[in-house]
Amino acid sequence: MALFEVRNVTYSYNSRQKRPSLNDISLKVNEGRRTAILGANGAGKSTLFYHFNGIFKPSAGEVLYNDRPLDYSKPALRELRNDICVVVQNPDEQIFSSTVESDVAFGPMSMELPRDEVDTRIREALDMVGMTDYRMRPSTQLSYGQRKRVSLAGALAVRPKVLILDEPTAGLDPQMAREVMELIDQLYCAGTTVILSTHDVDLVYSWAEDIIVLNHGELVYSGEPEEYFSDPEKTAYAGLARPHTFSVNSYVSKMRGLEESPYPRTTSQFIAKMAPEGAKGGHVRIVPVKEGTEAVEKTGAVGAYGYRAKKLVEAKGIEVDYMYDALEMCMQDAVKSKDSVLYCDEVLVDMAVDRIRSLESFGIKAEVIM
Amino acid sequence: MTDETKLLEARNIVYYYEGNKTPSLDNVSITIKKGVKTAILGGNGAGKSTFFYHLNGVVKPASGVVLYKDVPLSYKKKAKRELCSHVAVVLQNPDDQIFGQTVKEDAEYGPKNIGLPKNEVEARAKRALEQVGLWDKRDQNSLQLSYGQRKRLSLAGALAMKPDVLIMDEPTAGLDPQMALELMELAEQLHHSGTDIVLSTHDVDLAYMWADEIHVLRKSEKVYSGKQEGFYSDSVLSYSAGLLAPSMFQMNSTLSALRGKDPAPYPRTEPQLIAKMVPDKPRGTMQIVPFKGAITQEIIDSKKSNRIVGIYGTEVRKSVASANASVDFFFGGLESCLSQLLNGEDVALFCDPDCVDLMEKKIAEMSQFGDPIQYQIEEPIVVEQHTEE
Repeated sequence: MALFEVRNVTYSYNSRQKRPSLNDISLKVNEGRRTAILGANGAGKSTLFYHFNGIFKPSAGEVLYNDRPLDYSKPALRELRNDICVVVQNPDEQIFSSTVESDVAFGPMSMELPRDEVDTRIREALDMVGMTDYRMRPSTQLSYGQRKRVSLAGALAVRPKVLILDEPTAGLDPQMAREVMELIDQLYCAGTTVILSTHDVDLVYSWAEDIIVLNHGELVYSGEPEEYFSDPEKTAYAGLARPHTFSVNSYVSKMRGLEESPYPRTTSQFIAKMAPEGAKGGHVRIVPVKEGTEAVEKTGAVGAYGYRAKKLVEAKGIEVDYMYDALEMCMQDAVKSKDSVLYCDEVLVDMAVDRIRSLESFGIKAEVIM
Repeated sequence: MTDETKLLEARNIVYYYEGNKTPSLDNVSITIKKGVKTAILGGNGAGKSTFFYHLNGVVKPASGVVLYKDVPLSYKKKAKRELCSHVAVVLQNPDDQIFGQTVKEDAEYGPKNIGLPKNEVEARAKRALEQVGLWDKRDQNSLQLSYGQRKRLSLAGALAMKPDVLIMDEPTAGLDPQMALELMELAEQLHHSGTDIVLSTHDVDLAYMWADEIHVLRKSEKVYSGKQEGFYSDSVLSYSAGLLAPSMFQMNSTLSALRGKDPAPYPRTEPQLIAKMVPDKPRGTMQIVPFKGAITQEIIDSKKSNRIVGIYGTEVRKSVASANASVDFFFGGLESCLSQLLNGEDVALFCDPDCVDLMEKKIAEMSQFGDPIQYQIEEPIVVEQHTEE
């Protein structure tokens, strides 16, 4: 089902623009699909985002949310923004208040929630982004990565149905970037629709189910990533490059006389596909993390996936090999026929199981033990 | 072979930002060697930028010493200004560095500031703006440029100083993939022509493809100096530094382990990995066409005859773009051509004349991963340019 529908939208910031920032764009964003918007600098990604939450009103065309055209009256917009949160790329454009707490409180407060509900939400949001200890700190004393996480917490505290993130990993180091992506997976699994924009084609390829590609305000492509990246001309035209996994799979499959499909999207899937015939998978023991979960016997490398799992291993002093990108690392171990243990937030378990089982379609069967 | 003399050296430097009790650099010793492509890696807040400010003398260490070509830096005004023309730092955020009104004025700022004659100032600014592809925009207000353009303008400002060492803080952050490829190609070309390049980045995949040597900072301390493989092979060390192993490294080490083979030689680029994975497929050949001047579609097509065509180098790229000509690989030309060649295609690569030996070097590197690549260097084509305005 289409969550958003953009119908022939044209938008110009001012009348002197030679060409509009969005030019007759039509697309759909489906509910429950991980959707990424790609495009070079200045392609119109952010402009499109601001149409989803009604900050921008199209010069022509219309935007529908849940099949209803957006209502641009003040009360309707306010209601809409309880549903849809946009996290901008530069956290400094979003952090206004003097302390971390008051900043994260801004959203829930303007929803006129009771004081203790606001407090619960602040606590939860800061917990998710790992900033609990900074609650009383002045926002100005935070590093870039911390400010980025606070701006995300501000959006989480609203508990939106749709979370729109502009370049969520830009400027973050690899581990923090993984942590943010893990959090995004977690929200997604809990039912939040996530739309993100990025330059990072490798990241997109491992994450997104659908991509929307813009170039100079025009729609170049909308659909599954493989069809788009298979066309080198189209890829180059939009200022993008092909993801490494896609490109290497494409060449090596051709050269070995294999089908390009199934397309590996992650390193572990790629390795599984390229592994010698008859390689045996290891198993991943998944420990769902909830209240009162205890440590289990260490039967291989140990990973922690999800923020509750990370908290648990810290609290219990469990020795962890993979604190970041743990699911992927356990999958890589399985491909190497090594066993591993994955402490995994409950909400992420189904996704983890699906991903581990996906290895079978790439030639290596990895068993999941619960 | 690289000449491993010391270019820049930090000896036991310690630095505190005002009002901080914990040091932002804690007893850091790093030697950057001449001719060695060097990357400084580390998580957010590890001290990378602070370290860079020490290299051009903007910041003076609380203790320890920084040496440029074996001579300790002097922090006197005149010496600092002199150092600026040898060691240029390009900041991550271009807005911290762009001062001028028009693009041209901005690129002229540095050379003017060190008192060069007017014609030299103008010549340098022109050359630098051409290198980054902004000469067409020379009369525009620098504030009207896009982020990517401002980023290139700040680089032009540094290039106009004709530095011996160019230090770039997160040069590709915020750039789209093609711009990033273009910038790394420029860095490669500059390095090849004798300007030493040091860069800092979060992007482990990018660093893996490019750097000969890395220095890793973690929470103000240096935790590693040397070859990248040594660092990533120690997963505890790379983990604790906020980094993850590059995907190329992960793919190769796991695939090698599965086949019971030694992970070395380590592929760092796509064609290297492909060559290692499929060693026995018949390959195509490469024609290298050194080209200078105004290109036309006819010239490109004359080399085509069933060949896939790519380009390499800032000049030839500009020429192809302004002729609106079509080639198969406009960005990442060498790598894409090599991958196609491994797949049995014949390829032609137009490159700037000063890049020919760089191409040969990169082709030679491929032979670690299988049979040597068959290539031929053609007679250079030079087309007089009449369009001098």
